[in-house]
Amino acid sequence: MRETWVVGAASSRYGKLSETAREAATKVALGAIRDAGLEPKQIGYTFVSNCFGLTEHQGHLGPLINNGLGIPEVPSATVESACSSSSAALHEAFVHVAGGFADAAVVVGAERLGHLDTLSATGHFAYGADQPFETRNGATFPGLYALLAGAYQAEFRTTPEMFGAIAIKNHANAAHNPLAHFQKEITLQQYLDSPIVASPLRLYDCCPFSDGASAVVVAAREAIRRPTREPLVIRASARAGAITDLQDRTDLLGLPSTRLAAEKAFRQAGIGPQQVDFAEVHDCFTIAEVLALEDLGLFPRGTAAREGLEGTTARDGALPVNPSGGLKAKGHPVSATGAGQVVEIFDQVNGRARGREVPRTDIALAHNVGATGGSCSVHLFGRR
Amino acid sequence: MPTEPPSPHSIEEFVQGYERAGELRGFRCAACGRRTVTWGLACSGCGGGPLQESPLAATGRIVAGTLVTVASEEFVNEVPYAYVLVELDGGGRVSGWISGIRSEEEVAPGTPVVFTPSYKAGVQFRRTEGDASAVPPR
Repeated sequence: MRETWVVGAASSRYGKLSETAREAATKVALGAIRDAGLEPKQIGYTFVSNCFGLTEHQGHLGPLINNGLGIPEVPSATVESACSSSSAALHEAFVHVAGGFADAAVVVGAERLGHLDTLSATGHFAYGADQPFETRNGATFPGLYALLAGAYQAEFRTTPEMFGAIAIKNHANAAHNPLAHFQKEITLQQYLDSPIVASPLRLYDCCPFSDGASAVVVAAREAIRRPTREPLVIRASARAGAITDLQDRTDLLGLPSTRLAAEKAFRQAGIGPQQVDFAEVHDCFTIAEVLALEDLGLFPRGTAAREGLEGTTARDGALPVNPSGGLKAKGHPVSATGAGQVVEIFDQVNGRARGREVPRTDIALAHNVGATGGSCSVHLFGRR
Repeated sequence: MPTEPPSPHSIEEFVQGYERAGELRGFRCAACGRRTVTWGLACSGCGGGPLQESPLAATGRIVAGTLVTVASEEFVNEVPYAYVLVELDGGGRVSGWISGIRSEEEVAPGTPVVFTPSYKAGVQFRRTEGDASAVPPR
């Protein structure tokens, strides 16, 4: 396998976009290519994610992006893995580049949901669950994660203040992120006063429906003579799956696919969880951040919610988590989210995360979940 | 190892069948004995099989429940309602919904429920605690 780097990154603002996913994707792809000091003709493959493109009456986005970049002859493929789509696309790009099938590949995820009302968007999000055996029976995404939150709360005697602390922390981080959907802080009282969406989850436990696009360029070290930015060395690119339906799982206190992907990733990288300096994890709901931190091995079982309340995961804490604001406050444009996490890590390493810098950036972790963990990606990044 | 489909009908026909008949059906893994309602060609628990279609009990107890107030289009007229995971008597877990719920305490773990034929698609349960008339549908 060839040493493989992330050499460029770009992201749109997350929130409401007036342009289509196609336009946003093409712009950020070009932005990431130029950030890398490359030209589109140097790209050997384009991996695209756009789960809800059909709501815009547009599929087959890869060739359209490549046409828009002036490289119609370059192959492309769409990668779908629900909310973990663009981290799955990154994995495919890594496999291609590390395996010698391309010297450079662009990974781009884009989503536009702003043209859907809440009712329709809630329904579309639920398409990632099992239609005949979950959604048909009344499941929503908040509802499914609410079951996990309830189980965790009962087992570990957590308080609403612990989950509120995660929302407050991620909003505080997003307040310093000019691309975030919500650039405002919230108070504990606002959190506690927000309405229940699916008990025990309140509105401020939930990520928003966001539009947005993010892209990164992956290249072989040997193909990049002089990187224009400080590259991220991809030390591990791991994915795993798990039993999809919650009713078929025996353990509701975590996501098995995260545990499996994390084990693979740390083994690939030859390091342990204690060496991670900061992490972008999949916090579609506050409970999801708690479960992620424990499943990844960053905190012992049953302790992550408490650590959040004590500030351990704040930007100036022992292990900063979601300095971007996370899905919770930066936003969750489903297919862009995985790539967006890597954009944040790239920006942190390159000193571009002004106002929300984390103190140490030698080893970073990105964790991205599909639905309730039927799929999961864990990437570990280091420096040259 | 995956085997032939456990039943000759489609998932939709299978699901509609038990909803209309008022009798839950699922699959039992011949290798490990695990019961599930979720369709597959092999057991998601042990990877073995074959999966044999079999009736599931109509009664059980809630394992986890939530009170949903923001629903998708199919359930928008039901809010608030409960979405629950139910451990069925005799084995197997199934998800379902319960109408007329006003607080999450009403669907606490351990609450007994019974599968009830519904006017709409989906597995509907109702609570049986304190309800002497609750008789599992035959």
